[in-house]
Amino acid sequence: MYGEQGFTAYDFVLWAEGLGVSVGIFLASSVFGLAIGILIGLTRYYKVPVLGKLLMMISEFLKNSPVLVQLFLVYFGIPALLEIDITPIQAAIITLTGNTAAFGAVIVISSVEAIDTKQLEAARSFAMDEWLILKKIIYPQSVAIAIPLVVGLAINQLQVTSLISVIGVVDLTRVGDIVNQRTFEPFIVWPIIGGTYFILAKLLGLLGARLEKKFSAYRYQAGI
Amino acid sequence: MIEIDKLCKNFGDLEVLKGIDLTIRPGEVMSILGGSGSGKSTLLRCINGLEEITSGKIIVDGLDVSRKSELREVRKKCSMVFQQFDLYPHLTVSENITLAPISVLDLEKSEAEKKAEELLESVGLTDRSHYYPAQLSGGQKQRVGICRALAMSPDYLLLDEVTSSLDPEMTAEVLDILKKLAGQGITMISVTHEIEFAREISDRIVFLDDGKILNDLPTSEFFDENGGLSDPRIAKFLSKMSGR
Amino acid sequence: MLDLSSMSEHMPAFIDGFIITAEVSIISILGSFLIGLVFALMRVSDNHIFRTISYWYVDLFRNIPFIVLIFFAYYGLPEVGVYIDAFWTGCLTLSVAVGAYAAETIRAGILNVDKGIIEAAKSFGFSKLKIYRKIILPIALTTSVRPLGSVFINLILTTSILSAITLGELTGASKIIASTTFRPFEVYVFLVFFYGILTFALSGVIAIWHRHLNKYNEAN
Repeated sequence: MYGEQGFTAYDFVLWAEGLGVSVGIFLASSVFGLAIGILIGLTRYYKVPVLGKLLMMISEFLKNSPVLVQLFLVYFGIPALLEIDITPIQAAIITLTGNTAAFGAVIVISSVEAIDTKQLEAARSFAMDEWLILKKIIYPQSVAIAIPLVVGLAINQLQVTSLISVIGVVDLTRVGDIVNQRTFEPFIVWPIIGGTYFILAKLLGLLGARLEKKFSAYRYQAGI
Repeated sequence: MIEIDKLCKNFGDLEVLKGIDLTIRPGEVMSILGGSGSGKSTLLRCINGLEEITSGKIIVDGLDVSRKSELREVRKKCSMVFQQFDLYPHLTVSENITLAPISVLDLEKSEAEKKAEELLESVGLTDRSHYYPAQLSGGQKQRVGICRALAMSPDYLLLDEVTSSLDPEMTAEVLDILKKLAGQGITMISVTHEIEFAREISDRIVFLDDGKILNDLPTSEFFDENGGLSDPRIAKFLSKMSGR
Repeated sequence: MLDLSSMSEHMPAFIDGFIITAEVSIISILGSFLIGLVFALMRVSDNHIFRTISYWYVDLFRNIPFIVLIFFAYYGLPEVGVYIDAFWTGCLTLSVAVGAYAAETIRAGILNVDKGIIEAAKSFGFSKLKIYRKIILPIALTTSVRPLGSVFINLILTTSILSAITLGELTGASKIIASTTFRPFEVYVFLVFFYGILTFALSGVIAIWHRHLNKYNEAN
């Protein structure tokens, strides 16, 4: 373990692989999580009985307990209970999806509720049906409101992915751990790993700013 | 023709409309007057199905408003203009006007846009079609609101206190447009505080008090000493309103 | 199936873990508040260098995962001759990392203070220090209680990550209980609820405190 070998070219390959795993799991859990979050938000908005309340209660616990413990619950707990096998990557995607969904639902609800409901009434008065109203009135406005919040959530969730290293997924952080254990150069390894996350977060922020500009044209033009 | 039969509307324990009977004939221009809380806005909203009826019936050209399947058709016939304009803030003026014609009436986009241009021209907003609502003044917004309603080519135009959120100058510009419209044969039902305006454009005045129709008279009779004004409640209301 | 009875005999170990979590949390909340306060003041100061340093501190620590920071500290500190145990490494790293969030929150509170009040104070000839101590900070902190509360609740949840550097706090202790009882599902479900109830209770306390501090606003 304390071999104190120097860095090799293979470390770069490891770094790239770890980066790929982190980004891949981040993207998968973000897409699934936001999709489920939107569904949870909509069950709440349309006041679906029982399901709406139940899903919100589960979200509350997901938001108010450590993701690491949730990871342990899924990776160690569920296989023991149901006697099935779960790979670390599956456990990682399940947990992060659930966590993103819980926070995503809050964003969906608050952005939909931020819309003035009287214009929805106006739309109804012109014989527009609920689906059309959702598509043409609620969706475009709530997306504009939600984008900065979703970007904030995404940047946060990107950092949260680093926890999956603890259950053995070889992501960016785990690669850092492996290389650090071998070379024992924490002052080189961790700044590189940390810097990678930092750059990823900045890229997400840039992407978000672009999307925001695109979707909020009506707000910018009005100088609001 | 709109036929309203024993219409009641409760909000929880509060009875807002207590048995309204009213028939509105095609081409009529009717104003509904009454103090705040008299139920006049609620009556208008019931015609468009925006409020669920507690009991009674509203039939618009043979269509029952309380039947979901028929409500859609009713709404195509009755267009509404709102007190707070309630434009869609994320859509341009032109898109605000064409959204329902395109998606509900299945009009061609180009056709709907052409119609929107014509309507905007008629209210003096030719150059504003690509503006967003937030870039317009209140009076301009309400003129767009009127165009949005007219773009549906409605048989009935429902006006819900359309000038209440406007200052006097803007009120005048909106009322001028409505006066022009009233002369063009569209059936108009207007809930308003503007007594003079109601007097000028309406054929008929309905006075609502505490959820009931207190008086339903041709305009000239309503404002006559021996007609509507002989009722002390109406006289009191009118003097209060003109005193503002 | 779900059987929490096996948990009961392990309660002492669980409580030991809770005590460590509580200690780390309290020390780090104090630490991150002080660090946050200093950097918030630097950020709103007239000194260009202070402002730049504070900006980078906040930006950096808010965009790097905590687990990377804790590994860096845990393996890096001994390299530079700082020998502290997992407990103090945890407290130090948490204070510095969460300090960035606290700084942002306090800064927002400071910027929110009515400019008119500050000018009024200036007109009475108060020194800059006095204005900050007696007027700006008390008002800023009053409005920041709620967002700061969220930051600190997050800090408590983050202490679970210290189990990765072998600290036997709640999560670390539970890991051991889970592996000795072979009942990981029950243990972690219990733990999720435990953290959940802890944070609910704390949010409740913060809400009450916030209301108490903002009493003078209620008349508005």
